[in-house]
Amino acid sequence: MTQATATSVGLGLPNLCRAMVPGHIDVQSKDELRANLLSVTLEQVIAGLTRQPAAAAAEPAIAPRAIVYAGDFDAINAHFYEQEWSDGLPVVPPTLARVEEFLRYTERKPDEVLGILLPDSRAATVWSIAVNGVMAGCRPEYMPVLVALIRAMADPEYGVEHSSNTPGAETLIMLNGPIIKQLGFNYEQGVMRDGFMPNTSVGRFWRLALRNMAGFLPHKTDKGTYGNTWRVVIAENEDALAEIGWPPSSVEMGFKAGENVVTIGRYTGGNLFAGVGGATPEEMLPYLADAVARQISWHVIFTIGMANGMLRPLLLITPILARQLAKAGWSRGDVKRYLFEHTKMPARRFNQLLNFGDWNNPGPWNIEDHVRLRKAPASFQESEDPDRLVPIVFDPEDFMLFVTGDPLRTNAYAFAPNGHLGFQVAQRIELPRDWDALLAAAQAGSRRL
Amino acid sequence: MATADNGHYEVVWPRSERMTELRPLARRLDSLQGAKVAQLWDYLFRGDEVHAVLEAGLRERFPGIEFISWREFGNTHGEDEARVLAELPRRLQELGATAVISGMAC
Repeated sequence: MTQATATSVGLGLPNLCRAMVPGHIDVQSKDELRANLLSVTLEQVIAGLTRQPAAAAAEPAIAPRAIVYAGDFDAINAHFYEQEWSDGLPVVPPTLARVEEFLRYTERKPDEVLGILLPDSRAATVWSIAVNGVMAGCRPEYMPVLVALIRAMADPEYGVEHSSNTPGAETLIMLNGPIIKQLGFNYEQGVMRDGFMPNTSVGRFWRLALRNMAGFLPHKTDKGTYGNTWRVVIAENEDALAEIGWPPSSVEMGFKAGENVVTIGRYTGGNLFAGVGGATPEEMLPYLADAVARQISWHVIFTIGMANGMLRPLLLITPILARQLAKAGWSRGDVKRYLFEHTKMPARRFNQLLNFGDWNNPGPWNIEDHVRLRKAPASFQESEDPDRLVPIVFDPEDFMLFVTGDPLRTNAYAFAPNGHLGFQVAQRIELPRDWDALLAAAQAGSRRL
Repeated sequence: MATADNGHYEVVWPRSERMTELRPLARRLDSLQGAKVAQLWDYLFRGDEVHAVLEAGLRERFPGIEFISWREFGNTHGEDEARVLAELPRRLQELGATAVISGMAC
């Protein structure tokens, strides 16, 4: 109910009428649910449709350059925490000077609106990107990455409005291009660990942006049951890719090798798969297929049902594994085709998982209907045998592979995606014309504030 | 007063302007007698059962009330969410809806 109240404000309908079902529907018997609906919910529905609520007042706007608070470091942080502008860690105070420094690294105007972000329907301005970049502890020269990230966040195909959903999936930011080395992003051992300023601070920026620019606040607009916290940015090992002749992951998102690109997607979780052994792909790949398959369960509702063909499982593999596969002549496409064939599950199990939230009662989705209605490929219904194996995605290219991590360790990491509720999108990182000079000056320390 | 350790900072707002204007709610109905109620569902949390029970309860209280099934509109939370929502004003008008009950969430 709190989420409905908070979210309706951003939609311009702060006094939208709501009705409640006591408790949680998932754990109520049919009789309990019926009794609750008729004794509680029904009256609220009638009131909501027949009683006019009081008119609402608009929230006053604050000019971007207005000073909203002044004080010492502790006072600033206490105020920001009280206002729910901070994530609970100390923020770098966003002074005008610091924000203006960030703006030097983009040719876009400060008041340019890159998109409108739900649930608050706030303008994603270049200025507000810089403010949150300062707060997150980013360096000014990270600004091109931050702008690209917010453009990706505002992409309707991504679906930022789903960032508060029950699964509490968290975004993973993946980076390609020469900017990895230019800004010092880690792409090797510990790539998912904090401790490297670009990876860590840009990851933190993302969640501050979700909080302040989009409006996601726990206990209000954010209803992740458990949630996840921000992830550090991961960068691909493009040296390794060049050595083995594989293109970067960004090429599969529609960009040219060598372009600076951020790719984002939301994932409910993931797991490490330790010890991928074998001297040949045929020996190694069963481990990788198993790693991916074990991460996918109820997520098949994004393959058939709630969405169709929108599941994109992600597999991180280390350079040594990629090298071993490439040495045997396998391409990314070959690996994905193997995953497609070897991550299948029995149709009976797939249909059971489509009964989302209640395995005991058939829901609106099943394989047979979706194939008959041509919403799913025929490969899902090659026979009536409930034990036949069906794919977990529509196409081998639905799998995503990212080469990163400790170059000489034989581990992989599989992520479970949240389907269309945080769908994988990518944006080119735009650099200002005088990027090389700006970067040189920044790294020489001549522009430290 | 600044201290030697903590500095003094004048800071700006980390948020930005909301871009929607407040919209007044549609006028509520005087009564549900003769209303035509559209049901919207996001295909989650047993909304089909909820709509069915509420429909029965409302019919008992307001004879003559009509309903437009959630099946007419499509999933409001699926991959076609944007299209389904964009088409709603037209569909609701076409079907003659005078009220809407939309669910579900948890």
